[in-house]
Amino acid sequence: MRLTALLAMAARVKVHPDYRYGTSRPWTVGAQRMNPPGKKRRKVFVEPIQPEDWSLFKGDTVEVLAGKDSGKQGKISQVIRARNWVILEGLNTHYRYIGKSGEYRGTYIASESPLLVREVALVDPSDRKPTQVEWRFTEEGERVRVSLRSGRILPKPVVQRRDGVVPEQWKDGPKDTSPDDALEKTYSASLKTFEEEIAEATGVVETRAGRRTFWY
Amino acid sequence: MGLLSGLARGLVRGADRMAEWTSKRGSRTFYKNRGARKTGVLTSSGKFVRVREMVPELVVPRLDAGFKLKPYVSYRAPPGMEEPQTPHKLFTEVVAPQIEKEIKEGTFDPDNLEKYGLERSQEGKIFQLYPKNYVR
Repeated sequence: MRLTALLAMAARVKVHPDYRYGTSRPWTVGAQRMNPPGKKRRKVFVEPIQPEDWSLFKGDTVEVLAGKDSGKQGKISQVIRARNWVILEGLNTHYRYIGKSGEYRGTYIASESPLLVREVALVDPSDRKPTQVEWRFTEEGERVRVSLRSGRILPKPVVQRRDGVVPEQWKDGPKDTSPDDALEKTYSASLKTFEEEIAEATGVVETRAGRRTFWY
Repeated sequence: MGLLSGLARGLVRGADRMAEWTSKRGSRTFYKNRGARKTGVLTSSGKFVRVREMVPELVVPRLDAGFKLKPYVSYRAPPGMEEPQTPHKLFTEVVAPQIEKEIKEGTFDPDNLEKYGLERSQEGKIFQLYPKNYVR
């Protein structure tokens, strides 16, 4: 019983429509403790923001407009779209103990609290002040964020990969296909099916046709 | 999930009813297939006759001479820009030039479209497009 339950936890978590998203991701143990199956919580109303209008990404520098740390600038460390949340590094913190066991009270750490996207504004890199941002197209046709005050393009922040690989500096190993070989176009369109082409290439001559079948 | 929501945690009793019943469980006489398909026919005398056409044969390209693809792809490769092939694109690339050439020469025959690849029925073909009568 417990083994199947454990294996089920490793699989993708199915979330019901009124799931209450928290700061822990749904597949973590903490989130499962908060939202055991069958628990119903009051619905949280979230401002609907279309995916194409979303302009905050992990790694962006933003300024806080409301709350305890209003006026400070920080980097986004996590984005939770389901609740329009951004979590900044080291800002909007409250303090708590973690790792409490037995009589040991645990470590006292500062933990960040999420901020709504409306309480936060992107920072224009030219004058380092908060601005409103719009999505526009460049001459080449690329979709970019443009600051409304100065017209400067805000590039999408480059986030380092968790495994530490920098694609531009990657050295191919013996089992890696080189980028040129991988992107080579060897497909030639023809009306033959894949199997017919292979039969032709290997010289297989098949004159027997299958039995007549019917489908409804 | 197989959690019985009515019982308190840690006091769950009994076998796991939601676990899959496979051929690994059950007694010595319990037989259950796990998806392997038959490669022949069992005759009335009890002999199993292997049919070559039912045995899968892997057709693999030659991996030694001039084969440049390897198991993994380098991280430096950008995401490809190939669009998926549609019937419209296939027609435009293969059949339309033939028809245009024949119209220019004046030999276009609208009654004999079979020579440009039109198949009015799938009967008689070994690899029929519908119903899909072969394993991919």
